[in-house]
Amino acid sequence: MAIGSPLALLALWATAFILVVPAHSYLPMGTGSGATFTDSTWAQPPAWVINPTVSGANIAGTPADVTNIMQSSFATWMGAPDTHVVATFAGTSTATGPQINENLVCFTCGGVDFSQDGTLAITLINFDGSGNITNANILFNPNASTGAVSGQPICFTTGDTNSTCPTSGSVQEDLRTVATHEIGHFFGLDHSAIVDAIMFPFAPPFLQTLSYDDVAAISLLYPDPNPAVPTGSISGKVTLNNTGVFGAHVFADSTTASSPFSGFALIRKTPISALTFPDGSYLITGLPPDTYVVTAEPLDGPVNDPNVSWALEWGQPAVQTNFTTRWH
Amino acid sequence: MKKKTIYLTLCALIAACPSFATTVIPLSVENLTAISSHVVEGRAISSWTQWNATHTVIFTYTKFQVQRTLKGEVAATMIVRQLGGTLDGTTEKVAGVRQWKIGEQALLFLRPGEIRDGSLVVTGLMQGNFLIYRGPTGENLVSNGAPNVSAYKASTAPITTYSGSAMRLQEMEGRIQKAVQR
Repeated sequence: MAIGSPLALLALWATAFILVVPAHSYLPMGTGSGATFTDSTWAQPPAWVINPTVSGANIAGTPADVTNIMQSSFATWMGAPDTHVVATFAGTSTATGPQINENLVCFTCGGVDFSQDGTLAITLINFDGSGNITNANILFNPNASTGAVSGQPICFTTGDTNSTCPTSGSVQEDLRTVATHEIGHFFGLDHSAIVDAIMFPFAPPFLQTLSYDDVAAISLLYPDPNPAVPTGSISGKVTLNNTGVFGAHVFADSTTASSPFSGFALIRKTPISALTFPDGSYLITGLPPDTYVVTAEPLDGPVNDPNVSWALEWGQPAVQTNFTTRWH
Repeated sequence: MKKKTIYLTLCALIAACPSFATTVIPLSVENLTAISSHVVEGRAISSWTQWNATHTVIFTYTKFQVQRTLKGEVAATMIVRQLGGTLDGTTEKVAGVRQWKIGEQALLFLRPGEIRDGSLVVTGLMQGNFLIYRGPTGENLVSNGAPNVSAYKASTAPITTYSGSAMRLQEMEGRIQKAVQR
């Protein structure tokens, strides 16, 4: 929040009506041009392979453990409500670096400038000029280190009580938490500024489930033609001195205790968000029937524009943060 | 915002907030300085993209005009390599990694990468990449988009003073110089 920033006239008007058909929304990866944002998605269900080698990585688990965790983490996304997203497990690989012809998950790979720093994992996404994802690699840093406190090594835990961290004195990080986030990127999602979303770029050590915001995101990219829970959208425009505000973080927060996704286990209720387009307009999709308060705030922390590259994707110099939070 | 405040409080309590991205854990300025071979202020003057030797990764190379060196020795210009970019009809993206635009100024924490081609890479993936920009009061600020990088301390820094990861360039330079002298 821009505390102390000049109080300016901010007008946010939200048209809070429920539509039947979800439309375009917020933080997928892709490219913006003019008034159109082209999402990056898989045109065909991808197959993924895994190099399950853990020897040489700081992981408290076996090759079978990490394979199971990756499969269950993919299943978390594929089981999300209102979504038809598929990725198939195609077995093991011996690759030791990023691949262009297969979608690799790897725990000991090099070639991406990993070092003993706070980088835990990266997902390399390749897409063509039409926005179709052509290839993706999920690579975990075999030698991650906290650095921020005392340079302690980071050990990925798998829940395998028979395995211990190879490096003593390690800080523990839940592997499935990281895997679930990275798989969101694998499917074409960028970061979310909703704090409790799995796609929030800064997360607690243990968070294995999806939020309403994550569900809205994945169902936008891969909608189920027969959604279990019909959803709608809220659209509007954020203006400052009668001019559209670009890159404002707008989120719809339920004001009730209703639980429209209660039929699906482990989906956490959170606000659902979007960023405004260059003309200040926004469209929040994937909203289950409920009553919402819509809030617009500057994208100035904890998630900032560099976390999502929204300005770069639209060819703009920066997102606008010179306003104070408003809600309706 | 309430949710933000709660989150920041939690961050303060656990000292280092594990973070995704691209999954990273925030590094302090002092730690970034310690694990970087070079700390440099510069302006991006040109860039190009290139496949790696096995044609599996696209790298973006950016040439910087060096304006100030705070650690290490570099020539008047230097080249920094980043993951991602667009080449041969393919765009490669790593969430959280932002390529520079020509003319942008940055304070960079750098180290040699795996590929010894004379370029340097950003320490901590994107964490050592601080854009330099003019703040509302006219002074230069720096930000890498990652919270907690300013070594936020619950015991001394009230939540209400938190303002993203932006800090004054002058303050940042002072902390780097102290860290180098240790």
